[in-house]
Amino acid sequence: MPAMVEYIKADSFFHRLNPITKILWTFTVLIMSFLFNDPLAVFIILLSNLLIASISGILRQILPVIKALFIFSFLLIIFQIFFVDEGKTLFYAIPYFNIGRVTDTGLDMSLVMSFRMVATVSTIPILMMTTQMTDMVVVLVEKLKIPFKYAFMFITALRFIPTFMEEMEQILQAQMSRGYNSDTRNPFKKLVIIIPLAIPLLVSSVKKTEKMAISMEARGFASGPRSYYRKIDMRKTDYAVIAALVAVIPAAALMPLL
Amino acid sequence: MIRIDNLSYQYKNGNKVLKNLNITIKSGEFAAVIGQNGAGKTTLLKHLNGLLKPSQGNITICGLDAAKTKTSVLAKKIGFLFQNPDHQIFCPTVYEEIAFGLKNLGVQHSGIENLVYGAAEKVGIEQYLKTNPFSLSKGQRQRVALASVLAMGTEVLVLDEPTTGQDYSEGIEIMELVKELNVQGKTVIMVTHDMELVAKYAKRVIVLHNGTIIEDGPAEEVLGREESLALSNLQPPQVYLLAKRFHKQGFFKGTYTVEDMFDEIISYLEGEEDASNG
Repeated sequence: MPAMVEYIKADSFFHRLNPITKILWTFTVLIMSFLFNDPLAVFIILLSNLLIASISGILRQILPVIKALFIFSFLLIIFQIFFVDEGKTLFYAIPYFNIGRVTDTGLDMSLVMSFRMVATVSTIPILMMTTQMTDMVVVLVEKLKIPFKYAFMFITALRFIPTFMEEMEQILQAQMSRGYNSDTRNPFKKLVIIIPLAIPLLVSSVKKTEKMAISMEARGFASGPRSYYRKIDMRKTDYAVIAALVAVIPAAALMPLL
Repeated sequence: MIRIDNLSYQYKNGNKVLKNLNITIKSGEFAAVIGQNGAGKTTLLKHLNGLLKPSQGNITICGLDAAKTKTSVLAKKIGFLFQNPDHQIFCPTVYEEIAFGLKNLGVQHSGIENLVYGAAEKVGIEQYLKTNPFSLSKGQRQRVALASVLAMGTEVLVLDEPTTGQDYSEGIEIMELVKELNVQGKTVIMVTHDMELVAKYAKRVIVLHNGTIIEDGPAEEVLGREESLALSNLQPPQVYLLAKRFHKQGFFKGTYTVEDMFDEIISYLEGEEDASNG
């Protein structure tokens, strides 16, 4: 999954929005999914994410991420579901001994939790895939007043993920060519077996970082106030979308009262 | 020894890198694969030890089907030297680094020491065996990587740009060593950009262009084909170009290595001398 957080160039409605609007959207999704305690409602929020992904033309790239998140959320369910005592008993995981009681409340709660996790976390890759990193930095620094060093650290870390994955592949191939075999089921052996991969990766990352620091300094990094080539303005659609996002939260909060 | 039938390879993103390649390499050959960046040279090499599996076609390595054999098994037959030594070095001493492959192949402890010393001596790093490989220069690290491949004693050596990071004389030293191994019977397949090295050492040259083979034959023939080489942004070695210009004027038979040309000139000059004396 090397493309997990990479920008995917396209000209969709969502791509064109101001990064601030999109950041507000991720917060709205976050708040909304905590406002509701009904699995169906949270699932609908999750579906709305997928809808946005498909409008932006990144559905194909986002699905593997969602799949991975669901595997993780399934583990969450397993850890959660047997520890809820309230509610009616639905079934037992091991029926004969009555071990592993699953109640309707427990099922609801763990489903909400898992959908909530997938819904909130999946906004981040959607945001990354539809927003150019340079644009993101400009708004983070200029509009949200985050110190440039931190914004730079953030995007550099993200930018290096695919690079490191590629590097890892090269290292794995080099070691395999020397008869190295990474197939083992023994978890202790797995720790030892990672060394021929981890050390070259570590060494080359440190070297890469050093080189990058030198070349950045050579080009005047941190030498004074920065200017930005890009201008990112809020447009009418941005204000409309923000208005809708702001309206949807109180609406959702008031709904149970009706 | 190596048989490639109708090999095609396509990356997951649909990018077709190799198209219907057919190559047979016999035991004891010294073949150079040349071509532009992105022509598919490294991709082709990675098929030889099973790092990549063909999308289509068959590869047989010493009787093993490369598509179905694990790289760690093929490592016994094919020694593969990568471009960047830093992708493999991880041990605290050069000795352990060279021994890593041997341990993977299950060589008995008593045998390892001799093989490590032997390989280190061949590449001329025996004085560094107790040194930390990270403190060596890039050229020396490349030699450590080469020694770690040589120690495994494979019949075939696959070298991806073996002279990267070496200065001219170091590069020649490495190539002389490879040549000697080839004379002793090892099959050598190498990728390089250095046309002078190709002319000097390779006996067979394969030119890849956009994933297809546009030339495959004896080095002295292929290196003379300016048009094919130009397609790949390559130029024949200067001796070739010089000899060709002379050939147009009616001198020389079209011989191409420095030694050949030297001999020709000498015999010509000697002829002149005899003529003037007589």
